[in-house]
Amino acid sequence: MDLKELSRELLAKGDVQAVLGFRRGTGGRRRPAFIRRPEEAANLVFDAGCAQNLAGYLTRREVRRMGRVAVAAGPDTLRAILQLLAERQLKEEEILPLALDAQGQAEALPTAQAVEAHLALQAKAMPTADRELLDRLGAMDRAGRWAFWQDQFSRCMKCYACRNSCPMCYCGHCTMDCNRPQWVPEASHALGNLEYHLVRAMHLAGRCVTCGDCGRACPVGIPVHLLTFHGEEEVRRQFGQGAGTSARLDYALGTFRPDDKETFIR
Amino acid sequence: MDTFEPKITAFVCNWCTYAGADLTGTSRIKYQSNVRVLRLPCTGRIDFMLLAKAFAQGADGVIVSGCHPNDCHYTSGNYHARRRWMVYRGLMDFLGIDVRRVTFSWVSAAEGARWAELVDEVTSRVRELGPYTEYQELALTGVE
Amino acid sequence: MAKIGVFTCHCGENIGGTVDCAQVAERSRALPGVVHSVDYKYMCSDPGQTLIKDAIRDQGLTGVVVAACSPRMHEPTFRSAVAEAGLNPYLCEMANLREHCSWVHPKGEATTDKAADLVRVMVEKVRHNTPLQPIRVPVTKRALVLGGGIAGIQAALDIANTGHKVVLVERSPSIGGHMSQLSETFPTLDCSQCILTPRMVEAARHPNITLMTYAELEKLEGFIGNFKATIRRKARQLDEKLCTGCGLCTTKCPQKNIKDEFNEGLGTRPAIYVPFPQAVPNKPVIDKANCTFYKTGKCKVCEKLCPTKAIRFDQEDELVTLDIGAIVLATGFKVMRTDQFPEFGYGEYADVLDGLQFERLASASGPTLGAIRRPSDGQEPETVVFVACSGSRDRAKGVPYCSKVCCMYTAKHAMLYKHKVHHGKAYVFYMDIRSGGKDYDEFVRRAIEEDDVKYIRGRVSRIYREDGKLVVKGADTLQGGAPVEIRADLVVLATAVQSQDGAEALAQKLHVSYDPYKFFAEAHPKLKPVETNTAGIFLAGACQAPRDIPETVAQASGAAAKVAALFSRDELTREPVVAVVNRLPAPEYSWCVGCFLCQSACPYQAIGAEEIRGRDGVLQKTVAQVNPGLCQGCGTCVATCRTKAIDIQGFSNEQVFAELMTL
Repeated sequence: MDLKELSRELLAKGDVQAVLGFRRGTGGRRRPAFIRRPEEAANLVFDAGCAQNLAGYLTRREVRRMGRVAVAAGPDTLRAILQLLAERQLKEEEILPLALDAQGQAEALPTAQAVEAHLALQAKAMPTADRELLDRLGAMDRAGRWAFWQDQFSRCMKCYACRNSCPMCYCGHCTMDCNRPQWVPEASHALGNLEYHLVRAMHLAGRCVTCGDCGRACPVGIPVHLLTFHGEEEVRRQFGQGAGTSARLDYALGTFRPDDKETFIR
Repeated sequence: MDTFEPKITAFVCNWCTYAGADLTGTSRIKYQSNVRVLRLPCTGRIDFMLLAKAFAQGADGVIVSGCHPNDCHYTSGNYHARRRWMVYRGLMDFLGIDVRRVTFSWVSAAEGARWAELVDEVTSRVRELGPYTEYQELALTGVE
Repeated sequence: MAKIGVFTCHCGENIGGTVDCAQVAERSRALPGVVHSVDYKYMCSDPGQTLIKDAIRDQGLTGVVVAACSPRMHEPTFRSAVAEAGLNPYLCEMANLREHCSWVHPKGEATTDKAADLVRVMVEKVRHNTPLQPIRVPVTKRALVLGGGIAGIQAALDIANTGHKVVLVERSPSIGGHMSQLSETFPTLDCSQCILTPRMVEAARHPNITLMTYAELEKLEGFIGNFKATIRRKARQLDEKLCTGCGLCTTKCPQKNIKDEFNEGLGTRPAIYVPFPQAVPNKPVIDKANCTFYKTGKCKVCEKLCPTKAIRFDQEDELVTLDIGAIVLATGFKVMRTDQFPEFGYGEYADVLDGLQFERLASASGPTLGAIRRPSDGQEPETVVFVACSGSRDRAKGVPYCSKVCCMYTAKHAMLYKHKVHHGKAYVFYMDIRSGGKDYDEFVRRAIEEDDVKYIRGRVSRIYREDGKLVVKGADTLQGGAPVEIRADLVVLATAVQSQDGAEALAQKLHVSYDPYKFFAEAHPKLKPVETNTAGIFLAGACQAPRDIPETVAQASGAAAKVAALFSRDELTREPVVAVVNRLPAPEYSWCVGCFLCQSACPYQAIGAEEIRGRDGVLQKTVAQVNPGLCQGCGTCVATCRTKAIDIQGFSNEQVFAELMTL
């Protein structure tokens, strides 16, 4: 069904109290929209410009207070929703994912199972530019990679846009907020920047759904998403586990196999 | 000329490697004195950030050591640690951190001689790699 | 305001000979928070400990660092001393200047520097130490023993004899287990039932033991000292109070030819039956799957005949919930069946038996009353071949381990056969002879030297039937691998000992770990052989690994001792090195976001959920909660937690961070 029609119906029937989607923004961009009244559903759009992962909003207190929320979801958003369900941050009955295809047709997926089944039919490929950069970094020697990342981090101003845009960074008290002990200095400088990105990448390993929002959000263009993409690839390659395929928790760093194989432990 | 003496920080588990190091002492086997051992209940307890912080504090080399797989005093702490290290080491390398300076090992409470061997080998290797100034300089860059 | 005292020990020349202790004490005095720093020859001695205690009292110390030997050596010593002086023992730490310093480095500046560093690290840790109280958990003094074989019986009796109550649960209709099926036991050739049945009766009559046979564990909740066990007492279709055990019902049952479990399929029984004459309790049970009434709606002969009207066809299973303080797992083992051996006939040859079946043949209460007879034609076998290591030590059969008891019982079987059939020929095909127990090797030598059992070192590749004989084809490796062919009348396979049916499901119910072969896992292979990783659950007998009767009895008593220790106090005291999830005032309540990644990482199922509600009862947040009775203090959850909401007392984030940052 057309997204606008479906949203109007859901709101009119009272099945949901809000529809989270996109509307036209300024300069040809798209921005998130919270539609509360059926007639406003006409403002919804869904096209190539709607890349942001809306799942991040679903865990916010203000959004939860709206009631049951439907969300216009591309595959990334659906994966994030599954992972959030697995980590008990969302309850099935509180949300209604509306899976969208390339033509803007929406399908309501009311259960986690429905979302899982829908995603199972989708192929997931990394954007070419990202793949190329990751491969290029992989081919560099250590010194080359160090130089690359130090150069990138020198621009980091610790705005935390990457963290704020990530649906999996829902922790009210982030490691960065901890001051007893102060693991990572909050201000922007070389050591703190490296440590912050290191911590974030590790905290997302096995949880990242590779939506790439963090990289898109960075105002100074640091490809931070490559760090989490790298982590996701490693976890999948080494353990066969990853985020966003099931609403049942399967956290790679919370589980193990007695015969996990590595090459470097003496 | 001052010969460079590397600073080695070791994170070890209480039940195996710490006990193994005790055995090294009881057996009076000598090894180089650069290492400083921090005792933790289990390798499972070792937060990955500790390794990064060790370098930030001026360590030139880091050792992380615990019970052999299947022998963990707490059954599975070392299995979780192993997974954590598999991912973390890859990430450190991806960021260009010198993983030759990090040594992960399983040393049991009976392997006193092995602990000495390990410490000597790591100390010598890190001495050759030189001080990890590249990392330590980061702390001096920008506002602290 | 920290007021830390540092006490540097010379340990005679052990530390003092290599490390400049006076200098270490001097440098320590200058550390932030240190108000008192001395060195002394022998800190662990009486005067040494007095130095510490006096300083605590005189200076009001808030923390103590003893720079001496390894904490694995003397931490308890110094913690007791500190407690005696009125300071919380967890405010005392040790710096290892001996095993990790003076004993492994040469005398010199570098060594003294290292010693000073090590002291500084521990001073920083102690500055962040908090007083901790041992954790107290109440204990219900009733034990649950699962399994009524010799292991379970022994454990139950031992616990009952300490004055505590025991509930002994056995899933078959009688206790006794496999030992009641054996004819004679090695190395003494005691009659198995003769030594077992007095114990069985004792267990049934002991005032502290409640026997529940034909019953199984349905569900287990709770934790050490405070379990809730739900037992399903399966319906025997009998009012046990009225039944006198006269056995009349069993004589008139029309279903007579059901393969008998106790006789391992070699005999038959009726549908209403008592498993064996010495069964405890000696009351029948109706096998509903084979009973004419349950299958067709007609019969009930037993009910009509019963003089006390004890039969109850309408009886249902009963669920009983009990408060339990400790559990002993004694569920035993099973043996691999002959149908697992395609090379030996797929179990189709009636005259190829497993070890338990041979025990029933040899047993005076067995289907042949103790005479060795071929199941196929009832003839006495003239030649018997015993094949050791059948299935064991064989990766292809999924059993790479050694089943431990077969070398001994094979020798026993051969001897029993020879004792009953003097002119018979007995052959044993073996790989090795493992007879390591007391009097065991002498026993095997007896079989070879006195009873003329022929031992052939080699394996059997095939057994097939020809002209009423079983052709056994093997090799003799001590004769250069020469092929050996024996035309036998009876073959006994010493099949592998395997974990009991249902072991995996039971382990999962109890959250007990098990190995790839579904044997239950001990907490530590050397030092904790009767404990499991689940606090309050202990192991006895072959459910843990193949073992013989003496070891089983010993282990059962060991498990009983652990239970008795647990019950010796009204409260359980444990080291408070446990994880804690932080709590804060409203509206944050906790840094925990309730993702429960820690829960999957915990080896002890110690993390549960806590619902935090506001004053109006509305649910605010669901966070993780650590059960201090179960947590063992490994800290894996701490390293897994992103928000640093969960921390471990004694090795907290602040403490470890401070230790590291001072280096």
